[in-house]
Amino acid sequence: MLRFIAIRLGRAMITIALVVTFAFVVLRLSGDPAQIILGPEAPPEAVAAFRKAWGLDDPLWLQYFHYFGAIIQGELGRSMRDGRAAIELVAERIPVTLALTLPALAIKIGLGIPAGIYAALHRGSLADRVVMMLSVAGFTIPSFVLGLTLVLIFAVKLGWLPSGGQDSWRHAILPVLTLGIGGAAVLARFTRSAMLEVLGQPFIRTASAKGVPWRDVIVGHALPNAAIPTVTIVGFMIGTLIAGAVVVESVFSWPGVGRLLVVAVANRDLAVVQCILLLVAATMVTSNLIVDFLYGFLDPRLRQNPGKAS
Amino acid sequence: MSEQTLPRTVIDGKAAPRRWPGHDMPLLVRIALLWLVGMVLIALFAPLISPFVYTSPNLRNRLVPPGTFPHIFGTDELGRDVLSRLLISIRISLLIAFGASIISAVLGTTLGFLAAYFRGIVEQVVLMLADFQASMPFLILALSVLAFFGNSLVLLIGLMGLFGWERYARISRGLAISASAQGYASACRQLGASPMRVYLRHILPNIASTLIVSMTLVFPEVILLESGLSFLGLGVQPPMTSLGNMVGYGREYITRAPWIMLAPALTIVSTTLAVSVLGDWLRDKLDPTLR
Repeated sequence: MLRFIAIRLGRAMITIALVVTFAFVVLRLSGDPAQIILGPEAPPEAVAAFRKAWGLDDPLWLQYFHYFGAIIQGELGRSMRDGRAAIELVAERIPVTLALTLPALAIKIGLGIPAGIYAALHRGSLADRVVMMLSVAGFTIPSFVLGLTLVLIFAVKLGWLPSGGQDSWRHAILPVLTLGIGGAAVLARFTRSAMLEVLGQPFIRTASAKGVPWRDVIVGHALPNAAIPTVTIVGFMIGTLIAGAVVVESVFSWPGVGRLLVVAVANRDLAVVQCILLLVAATMVTSNLIVDFLYGFLDPRLRQNPGKAS
Repeated sequence: MSEQTLPRTVIDGKAAPRRWPGHDMPLLVRIALLWLVGMVLIALFAPLISPFVYTSPNLRNRLVPPGTFPHIFGTDELGRDVLSRLLISIRISLLIAFGASIISAVLGTTLGFLAAYFRGIVEQVVLMLADFQASMPFLILALSVLAFFGNSLVLLIGLMGLFGWERYARISRGLAISASAQGYASACRQLGASPMRVYLRHILPNIASTLIVSMTLVFPEVILLESGLSFLGLGVQPPMTSLGNMVGYGREYITRAPWIMLAPALTIVSTTLAVSVLGDWLRDKLDPTLR
């Protein structure tokens, strides 16, 4: 078990290091941030001072080392626009985004998993077809189209709900629905196919052949085995809690992390973008770690032989 | 032997009914295929068939509702013809999606083959990169790149081409490893064929159907990704237009002129839906192992 944890932690570290490297390569080698921030008509002295202040004149490998060191110390730079610490800017947006993504996650899990299980258990029924049709729609309708359609119906035509902004809980309904419906459809499809795969296994036939009641076969044998692929998807969804709402936040003018990212990208605000990138990587890695440990919990085989897990 | 090579007409004395490979296609798949063929034709001939120049404004005819001649799909806030813009948008969006899918398929398959051939450290590096790519939300990676490299159509296609390569790499690596253990691959090797020849001329055709099926899974996601980026105003830049771009500015006029965004939105949904339907059917047809 210790070895299992060690391997997983090692992988997590490598992923974080890769993201840091990616951020460095992309964010530092692409054009001259000094020119971008100060504009093409800035006096050369100002550009030089800026470059010195941000360490842009050092050789690249040195910049890389400084960069790595700074990140390990939690120094993520300042927004080049208003000089505030990037991490501060991002941190104050996190709860705003979570106010959308957490309820949406609850909808995804609460709606998607039961729908998928039900569809698998009643394969070929009308309910199954409806679930499958909806889940195909969930795959193919982009979130901004779904969001704008909801706006068109509930805000423009019916006038029941506001179309954007963040003034009251009513403003959150449409964005939460947009995120939740799409995700629930994806989750339902995965759960269904995981269930179907398990139900086709010999041990299910054995269990029911030896007289175990069907309900116990499902609860005791099918569900735990189908849980593994489903947990993977849920883990991925948990990993996107912070950055999974980029498009939806833009549709509904919701001032969360995603909105901040889009604005920062448009303004080429280096520090903020890389801060969000690293934050997202850290969330993804953490949720992957949790999923891995859950695997170990759900599937004793992986504890014995961690190498087989990948 | 001779019976197999003789045409059926000679054996039966009458012509056997000719059937095209898709004769047992369900209706839904036929519609999907028809839609996609239509889209490709539009993409190819968009500048020829669009009734107006898609960038030319006409301030006297702003926000004309659809169904009025000569602007069948209406006009937008600058009086530009929505139909013409839609046709050009389809062209740009499909160009990006096709270009990106091909790049990512070639890149992924190459890396997968390299991993399968060299094993060891090369394989570990490829798998690690694939894990990394799969674990990061691509939209965030793409946004970071766009933030700092600026934007151009070529860059956008190249960037989208990095999407989904890890799936081809994993599939082609796995299949190539099992294929090289099979008789035909070792037979080629022992006849003196170079590794390049074994992989490209013998293994690739054998695993192509699985790769094509994966392509139908990645393709709609590329369309969605590009339209998402363009919707945010960070993908295709004006005066050029794409489907996501049209929805993006159309939303400003959602109360007064919903048709500006509805036409491209419906096109995106129908196209991704059609590719998915066709892909599902192809998967059942070509590759029972993926089911």
